[in-house]
Amino acid sequence: MKLRAVLSGRGRTAAVAAGIALLLACAAYASPPGDGGPDFDIGDRRGGLVDEIVFATEGDVAKMSGLIADGTYQLSAQGITDQTVFQRIRESEAVDYDLSFGSSVELTLNPVGPEVGTGDLNPFHVPAMREALNWLVDRRYIAEEIFGGLARPRFLPIGTAVPDFARLAAQAREIEVRYQPDRARALAVIDEEMTALGAERRGGTWHYQGRPVTLRVLIRSDDIRRQVGDYVANLLEEAGFRTERLYRGAEESSRIWIASDPAAGQWHVYTGSWVSILVQRDVADNFSFYYTPRGRADPLWQAYDPDPEFDAIAERLSRGEFADLAEREDMMARALTLSMEDSARVWLVDQSQIVPRAANVQVAADLAGGVRGSQIWPLTLRFRDGVGGRMSVATPSVLTEPWNPIAGTNWLFDRMVLRAINDLPLLPDPYTGLYRPQRVKEAQLTVREGTPVSATLDWLTVDVVDEIEVPGNTWIAWDEDARRFLTVDESGQAGLTARTRSTIRYEDGFFRRSWHDGSPVTPADVVIAWALTFARAEPESPLFDASHAPSFEVFARHFRGWRILSTDPLEVEVYSDQISPDGESVVAQRAPGVLPWHVLALAILAEEERELAFSSAKADRINAEWLSLVAGPSLPVLDRMLERARADGFLPFPELLGTYTEAAEIAERYDNIAAWRAERRHFQIGDGPYYLHSVHPVEGALVLRHFADFPDPADRWLGFADPAIPELDLEGPLIVEQGQSARFTIHATFQSAPYASEDIDLARYLLFDGDGALVREGDATSRGGGVWEVDLSAADVEALGMGPNSLEVVFTSRHVAMPVFASQPFATVPEGAAVLH
Amino acid sequence: MVNLPQEPAQGQAGPDMRQAYLFGIFVARRLVALVITVMIGVYLTIVVANMGGQVDELRLIQIRADVAEEVRGDPGISPAERQAFIDQRVALEIDRLNLDQPFIWRSFDYLRRAMLLDLGRAEQMHSDHGSRQVNRIIVERLPATLLLFGTANLLVFFVSILAALALSRRYGSAIDRAVVALAPTSAAPGWFYGIFLILIFAFVIPIAPPGGMVAVPPPEDPLSYALSVLRHMALPVLAIFISSIFVSIYSWRTFFLIHSSEDYVEMARAKGLPERMIERRYILRPTLPPIITSFLLMLIGLWSGAIILEQVFNWPGLGTLLFQAIGHRDTPVIIGGVVIFAYLLALTVFLLDFLYALLDPRVRINPGGVGR
Repeated sequence: MKLRAVLSGRGRTAAVAAGIALLLACAAYASPPGDGGPDFDIGDRRGGLVDEIVFATEGDVAKMSGLIADGTYQLSAQGITDQTVFQRIRESEAVDYDLSFGSSVELTLNPVGPEVGTGDLNPFHVPAMREALNWLVDRRYIAEEIFGGLARPRFLPIGTAVPDFARLAAQAREIEVRYQPDRARALAVIDEEMTALGAERRGGTWHYQGRPVTLRVLIRSDDIRRQVGDYVANLLEEAGFRTERLYRGAEESSRIWIASDPAAGQWHVYTGSWVSILVQRDVADNFSFYYTPRGRADPLWQAYDPDPEFDAIAERLSRGEFADLAEREDMMARALTLSMEDSARVWLVDQSQIVPRAANVQVAADLAGGVRGSQIWPLTLRFRDGVGGRMSVATPSVLTEPWNPIAGTNWLFDRMVLRAINDLPLLPDPYTGLYRPQRVKEAQLTVREGTPVSATLDWLTVDVVDEIEVPGNTWIAWDEDARRFLTVDESGQAGLTARTRSTIRYEDGFFRRSWHDGSPVTPADVVIAWALTFARAEPESPLFDASHAPSFEVFARHFRGWRILSTDPLEVEVYSDQISPDGESVVAQRAPGVLPWHVLALAILAEEERELAFSSAKADRINAEWLSLVAGPSLPVLDRMLERARADGFLPFPELLGTYTEAAEIAERYDNIAAWRAERRHFQIGDGPYYLHSVHPVEGALVLRHFADFPDPADRWLGFADPAIPELDLEGPLIVEQGQSARFTIHATFQSAPYASEDIDLARYLLFDGDGALVREGDATSRGGGVWEVDLSAADVEALGMGPNSLEVVFTSRHVAMPVFASQPFATVPEGAAVLH
Repeated sequence: MVNLPQEPAQGQAGPDMRQAYLFGIFVARRLVALVITVMIGVYLTIVVANMGGQVDELRLIQIRADVAEEVRGDPGISPAERQAFIDQRVALEIDRLNLDQPFIWRSFDYLRRAMLLDLGRAEQMHSDHGSRQVNRIIVERLPATLLLFGTANLLVFFVSILAALALSRRYGSAIDRAVVALAPTSAAPGWFYGIFLILIFAFVIPIAPPGGMVAVPPPEDPLSYALSVLRHMALPVLAIFISSIFVSIYSWRTFFLIHSSEDYVEMARAKGLPERMIERRYILRPTLPPIITSFLLMLIGLWSGAIILEQVFNWPGLGTLLFQAIGHRDTPVIIGGVVIFAYLLALTVFLLDFLYALLDPRVRINPGGVGR
């Protein structure tokens, strides 16, 4: 992302990219991509589906179509929004793409007024004026003309590709219909409100206290928002306002809209944008964040003054104060309506990103974050026509920051690679965000009465009790002197209660797996990560890290202890006060993973010697290098620590880890990592489906290879390789006579095959009359084979009156968070009139 | 006045001492002048790179925005807790970057360390290997830049000198007129030709890679690695060569033509000396100082790399690095790049003073400077 920001900030470079795009458009030849790899029986294979994955730096997305077509790369980790590149990808037979929907564009409005510091009028102080913009803008025009089809209209403060939107799809659609473009209505509201503010219209221009009303439109000039800003400014001018267009880059605009006091009146409208890299399961906090002073401490947020009802609902939603999920849904629906009436932000589009890949490549790309945000990409990446072979992935950067598992790189593309090297207990579904078990067999979530949590998938059961007492032998605090955990009883917290208890049982073979260097995975690898979490927050510890302390403090406020119930199979209990509506998410946040203690031991020694530090902040503070397990000046330090650890038989946190570690294992592990280091020239090991074979920092490349000892069959996650977004085909009469009933038929398909009825979560219809008023709503009826029907009775038809109407249908699937819509316009005519025509 | 070089004559201790004294004064003055120049240049860079301290404001906004976005991901935190958490994190970052100190103080500290060549730690960036030491960050990219631009520029330099000499003998010939006609093609930068070269030789006739420094994955055998690097250098070197060669030949050819019409050259020709000798002794030798100057400036010019060309060819050089540093407003890295360039330039200028005296017998060094 760093490089992309740099690139986008320079017109010359953009010109280069455009030049390359233009010229490559001329090179219309395409050869078959990559080597397809040998045929291989998936049934015999474990882990990943290709033999080798090469990541290489390629920042110029304009070349991507050509590079994939000629077989240089088979996949791009970076999403593309450039329309020219998109067009070329669509035209190429050798290149295909996936779509993701994680970013959005909106208009941020200055809520201060009615007069600002300059004495000018700010009409957007009035909520009705802000609301009127919803009718003034044409979101479909923005999506199709300005974004060239790489966007979807968005009206609401929740994205169109999140589960909450799918749950509220019917209500959302109703609101969307209510706010369809209606210039006359927008101008009528503007006339009324401007007059009420004391302005008058002279010669087509609004004047206030004798001066024309000038709106300062702060337009981001470094991306497509430039066109969006111009479009909005043009609309405002047509509505009778003068505009002053302030074209600014990212930094300059942030100084104005975030840092300045909105009361100063430096801006009235800003073309904002927000990005999400994963499917957010819970967006109930969005109302508080975007519309109330609780969102952020910056002056703009502090200027928000929402309607009391909206404010109260937003706060309750952000705090999770609802009795059950039905109440939450009602509150969300109401908040959506109120957010449109508030319209401190006018949402415009959800932008789509293209994730290009070779046509013969398949991978699960996250609905929000694309392939870079997908947790299961390593388990689904494959050639469609065979298993094995080498896959080359283009990425804007590799090894952007040092890699270490405690406080190492947080860059998207580094983390993407690390997901192939490491394995997790639970993995989120890329299309719903719902966690599914990977190393976990099953779990039970016990919640206190009145805690609104539910389970969707069958690996998790939720039960409700009156009270959850934390057992006395549960680990809850840290004793730095003994370097071990303190139990609830030892820390004097007997009688402690918690809001939730997660009892997580891991798969039977959890401790029969090995690390990439051949060392066995043991309970000590589970415990050490927790030990470091506590030790690094302890001021007396040589591992103390001031930058870790604030996040630990937040964690400690909700953490109520954990304990290991058994090690064969591994079963742990975690107590916490933190909740989320999805039980799966609660368990995923608490389920312990594993880290190789023998590698961390070297890092611990190095940090205690103040030669390396886990975090960037501590490294700066002690003037040491930030620990990297893969390259650079960290490696010779780790070599020395390895010699020392081998000689001393060093075991970190011996009182804690000693319970789970034999003396022979210590020596064996150090021998293994020494051999690994000698062969691979780095210390990065994991337990994921691929291991890090080689690192080439300056060349900007690294190579992963298939880890044959990965426990799972290679096809385990293949069912998630394509997002099963239903495609709807709505058929029905175009003219319906009064007194007659009407039947509309919906064919739901996926890849031309009928969509299974049991996989459809919601099949709802909404009936609107010619004024856009909702007349009826209800559920469509399944007839099997992907066919659904909506029957309108004669009474329904009568309720519509005469004239044009529309039937809208909303379908949501269990497999994907994005609802799909279809609509059918039809006319109601007097009885017998249809015959006349 | 001091005539350099001169063998010390026996029995001339007094004049020698005086010459040494005058020489010492000359050296000291030049060094002081150059150090002051470097200091001014570096300080201006510090002020400009920080927009006179306004970058602090931008950084604070960015830090607060980044932390606020990170904290949004923590579920179940009350707004008050979240705000306290944000404040703590922001305070830590301010402390790390010393943003609580006035910029003016920090600017002098930057300057002091820069002048002592203590490049320190980067604030945001890392070397490709993961180090935050500015010297590692810069040194790591240096070989790639030297290799590409050194090869291309040396090629351009020597080819253009030799070609210019040859053309100066064929003034008005068809090839001379062709070079003059082609000279304006150098108005387009190397990256412009690079785009066409990539299109033609990487996509239409795919005989060269479209970018990068080495094949992916890099070959493990050193010979294969070297051959792969050479193959990847071909297009960028060609792009630089095409964009520079004609104007370079044209300017040197004009330069040599001017010198070819000097009276002493005409005299040599009138004496019937061979053309090679005239070129070597009567044209090349007196024009050596500007050639050497040009050569040395070309060499230190390699230090800056070429931002867009490196990006077009995805070449991991210093130009891209410094461009990224500017994007990150990573002052230590920007200063590191500039201070080394400034010192190299100062050293070159210093050396040239002596080289002129060595190469041109008409040049004398006196305490006031170089004179004729």
